[in-house]
Amino acid sequence: MTLPLEGIRVLDLTQVYAGPTCTRILSDLGADVIKVEGLKRMDITRNFVMPENTGKDDYWNRSGYFLLRNGGKRSITLDFGDPEAVDLVKRLVPYADIVAESFTPRVMAKFGLDYESLKEIKPEIIMISLSGYGQTGSWRDFTAYGMGLEPASGISSVTGYRDGPPLRTGISFTDPYSGVVGAGAVLAALYYRRRTGKGQYIDLSEHESAIPVAGYAIMEYALTGRVPERAGNRSEWYAPQGVYRCRGAQTGGGLAEDNWIAITIRNDAEWEAFCHAAGHPEWENGRFGDVLGRFRYHDELDELITSWTRQQDHLEAMHLLQKAGVIAGAVLNPKEVLLDPHLRERGAFDMIDQPDVGVRPVARQLGAKFSAFEPGSARPAPKLGEHNREVLQGMLGLSDEELARLEEQKVIGDTPEGAVPLDVMRMFVQWPTATFQQMGTIAGLDADYREQLGIKGNGK
Amino acid sequence: MPDSALAGTRVVDLSQGIAGPYCARLLADLGAEVIKVEPPEGDYARRLGPFPNDVPHHDRGGLFLHLNANKKSVTLDLETTSGRVVLRKLLANADVLIESETPGLMASRELGFEQLNDEFPQLVYCSVTPFGQTGPYASFKGNSLAAMALSGLMYITGDPGKEPLCTGGEPAEYFGALHAWVAILAALEHRAKTGAGQNIDVSMLEALGCADEYNTTMYAYLGAIRKRFYSRHAIPTYPSEIFPCRDGSIVVIGGATGFPLMMAILIEQPEQEGNPLFQNLWLRFMQWEKFEEILRPYLAEHDWEDLLTRAQELRIPFAAVLDAKTLLENEHLRERGFFEEVEHPELGKVPLAAHPFKMSETPLRVGRSPLLGEETHEVLAEVGYEAEDQLVLRERGVT
Repeated sequence: MTLPLEGIRVLDLTQVYAGPTCTRILSDLGADVIKVEGLKRMDITRNFVMPENTGKDDYWNRSGYFLLRNGGKRSITLDFGDPEAVDLVKRLVPYADIVAESFTPRVMAKFGLDYESLKEIKPEIIMISLSGYGQTGSWRDFTAYGMGLEPASGISSVTGYRDGPPLRTGISFTDPYSGVVGAGAVLAALYYRRRTGKGQYIDLSEHESAIPVAGYAIMEYALTGRVPERAGNRSEWYAPQGVYRCRGAQTGGGLAEDNWIAITIRNDAEWEAFCHAAGHPEWENGRFGDVLGRFRYHDELDELITSWTRQQDHLEAMHLLQKAGVIAGAVLNPKEVLLDPHLRERGAFDMIDQPDVGVRPVARQLGAKFSAFEPGSARPAPKLGEHNREVLQGMLGLSDEELARLEEQKVIGDTPEGAVPLDVMRMFVQWPTATFQQMGTIAGLDADYREQLGIKGNGK
Repeated sequence: MPDSALAGTRVVDLSQGIAGPYCARLLADLGAEVIKVEPPEGDYARRLGPFPNDVPHHDRGGLFLHLNANKKSVTLDLETTSGRVVLRKLLANADVLIESETPGLMASRELGFEQLNDEFPQLVYCSVTPFGQTGPYASFKGNSLAAMALSGLMYITGDPGKEPLCTGGEPAEYFGALHAWVAILAALEHRAKTGAGQNIDVSMLEALGCADEYNTTMYAYLGAIRKRFYSRHAIPTYPSEIFPCRDGSIVVIGGATGFPLMMAILIEQPEQEGNPLFQNLWLRFMQWEKFEEILRPYLAEHDWEDLLTRAQELRIPFAAVLDAKTLLENEHLRERGFFEEVEHPELGKVPLAAHPFKMSETPLRVGRSPLLGEETHEVLAEVGYEAEDQLVLRERGVT
């Protein structure tokens, strides 16, 4: 089996979410991705989501958040604050096909690592910069977080309850979105390089990359002068559509009364099918009998539909309605997602045996199945600096003495040198989950979750 | 004229709706020749609007333009044997086929991957559907809402006391489009090495699953089931959400360096620097209502652009909340040339979201969407159909 990017090497200077998503996809497709972190500036996500919520020892090698987007990569530590480290990065450039970075725009130039400089080292290099607002324009130097870019992209303007304020998705939406856009842009540049031998520079604004999701709203304003209003879960095109409350089942600690199903009725035939499946053929005719009535009396219809869904299990109702030919999807909580039979059969989660963590299900980063190859995603994430010797000696030929000196000077190493002492950080990375549950940000805490996931006994 | 990354690549796009067509548009923007094969009545997205003056017309849909720029349109009835004969001629010169039919339908038309692979071994055959070609939900009907529901992303979006909320803009379709696009480019790389095409099965649901930030991880590592909480992060980064201000809304984010000092300076209450709510992020996260009592009155008296500019000067990562109008008027986007005006024969000049990323050597192409069947004659002539043959095909309703 040949993976498409075998023989391609990526020097990965990105951190956190968008950039690592981009390079993780390249890694899964066969590229050798060398992730560069600084001891004073390690990827911050190494601090998030600890197994069993413990912050012991080298906790930064055990983070679930970090594993998700860095599985399969190699890790070296080089701090850009040190000129010698910058020099070593430059010496690695000739061995790379792609350099990926996600600093704010002024940073790479400051270190002499901008595209013009890299091109002098290696003319056919492909460089991608993933930044919040792009490399040009008056917002270029803005500090950007994914949480802010979704509202800035226009998506939040059409996300929210009816008559309510704009809302964000519960993830940093533009990060995974722009990360995938970045992977595609790099693949397109590789395709071009194969034909012409030429490298190039990709300026990816995470903000801009996601604006097309608001395409309908933009076109509505452009063609009609109207700014679309927030419509909750309703549809521009079909009625009824909504997310309806189901019977409250006890699926975990304190999860009663939070089960829901999404339903869309597109036409008369689907409405008829719904009424019969729900055991209410009498709803079929009368005021809801045609598409106009269903649009006009949507509120009343929602109450009627809820009177039925309220008595139903959300998963059973989904199967019942789908069998009748109606679009329905149970709203799954994260635990139900992990246990979902369809996603399990499709292999949406890899079981990854992470050293000092044990086996955990980890979501894939490319939602495609290929007939000719299997993307290599079931690999653990590297420990901080795990491949320092392998890369700096194996590739650049540094001697044992040089490596020892760099370690002495804390240019390289395997322990972070943050501003906050490590014993304080060990406390910080443990989350007050009981308090979270009290607040309501956590709906349930299962002590036996490893049994439930079938991973008991494999881990530590 | 600058070169294009995918110049010389030919795509036959049989897909309808949003996911498949947007995937094909990204390939077209990169310079591939995309032949959009539509049923004689057109891609159903032609009926989805928005339309000028709200008058539906198959050549005046705004969403259709957004999803199908830079393509050629050929009408072809694939339910007929004659239509399929024409399609096979098109596939002889094609590198990629994209389809979005219910699983099994293409095979029933003898146009499934297995049926085409012998004759067209070079072809990269990509299916984009809500739930994929296999598994218990393969036969389910789906849309963006249902895929978002099953992905887990809806459960964590919205107010805790209300129903889970779907992100606007049909995000499952766009995520599906992106994953299909990346998968097709990967398959073209693979083909360059091996000479072989292949089958790609993209599921919108799984594309969304890839986007999940840490929610399944929280269960797999802590046994914790995260719940929606005003779209707030579980990670201690509060505040990181949208607040009302005098003239609209503003995204307030503290970031790594905003607290305690810079935020106190921003809201012109330097004494708050010593407030435990400013000093301690856990306390702020847990006693958020108290913190908001300080923040909200100040925001209510200031405009978003003023707040944004001053916060950024203090290196606090505030962000704007833009809508369709303010996006199109945004100075930064104008400076970067993100929107480009295209001239459409039915719609006149229309701004198009044109540059999701910029490539220095191979800039993305900017063009309009095709009228229904606009290139049928041209494309069929290229594969050898004389004018008389084309007339027969047209009169019999094949094209």
